[in-house]
Amino acid sequence: MNSVGEACTDMKREYDQCFSRWFAEKFLKGDCSGDPCTDLFKRYQQCVQKAIKEKEIPIEGLEFMGHGKEKPESSS
Amino acid sequence: MRVWSSEHVFGHPWDTVIKAAMRKYPNPMNPSVVGVDVLERSVDSRGRLHSHRLLSTEWGLPGLVRAILGTSRTLTYIREHSIVDPVGKKMELCSTNITLTNWVSVSERLVYTPHPEDPGRTVLTQEAVITVKGISLGSYLESLMANTISSNAKKGWAAIEWIIENAECALS
Repeated sequence: MNSVGEACTDMKREYDQCFSRWFAEKFLKGDCSGDPCTDLFKRYQQCVQKAIKEKEIPIEGLEFMGHGKEKPESSS
Repeated sequence: MRVWSSEHVFGHPWDTVIKAAMRKYPNPMNPSVVGVDVLERSVDSRGRLHSHRLLSTEWGLPGLVRAILGTSRTLTYIREHSIVDPVGKKMELCSTNITLTNWVSVSERLVYTPHPEDPGRTVLTQEAVITVKGISLGSYLESLMANTISSNAKKGWAAIEWIIENAECALS
């Protein structure tokens, strides 16, 4: 699957693989002990943000600051 | 305005269906989705995973529809927000188009939950609201698009099944 930004596709695939593994092996099993994909996501997101601006895609209401406002929390 | 809704049952447990739903694209049933990006992702204080995604799609609108809309653009963008609750076993997904909004609004909501009588199965309830704005033949176009959504929904169910069957090693 491609990214909206052609230059971001490799970063996207690397992040997607990391996320899919974490999602299936940790998150769905109730383990919120930390997201190993943070750095991959930051790089990928910076690329996507640039592509969205270049293509003038009307995305509103999102803060492109890496992960969202609430960081993943350890299970409590 | 046209509202379309449907319910579908997968013969797989909720975890398996959700893992497939999160990696639905690409698949041979939905060739119109040509790009998927994650814009934002986080876990909230209730332990639910929020994902905001951007989908790039080739609508594949019938030529007549494109002629009426007066556009030759076929690449459109859809914004999607999903919430996965691993404890409550519920995944909710809402999407809406963010281009062509002067002409048409298509909003969809999908909810995946375990079947109430059989944990080996999963129920998907799905609804779409379609509104064509400001042009004649609006209700005809809405009807046409409802048919497209219905057909795409069936492809979507087949896509989930395909992902489950063809990515067993990754979903186990």
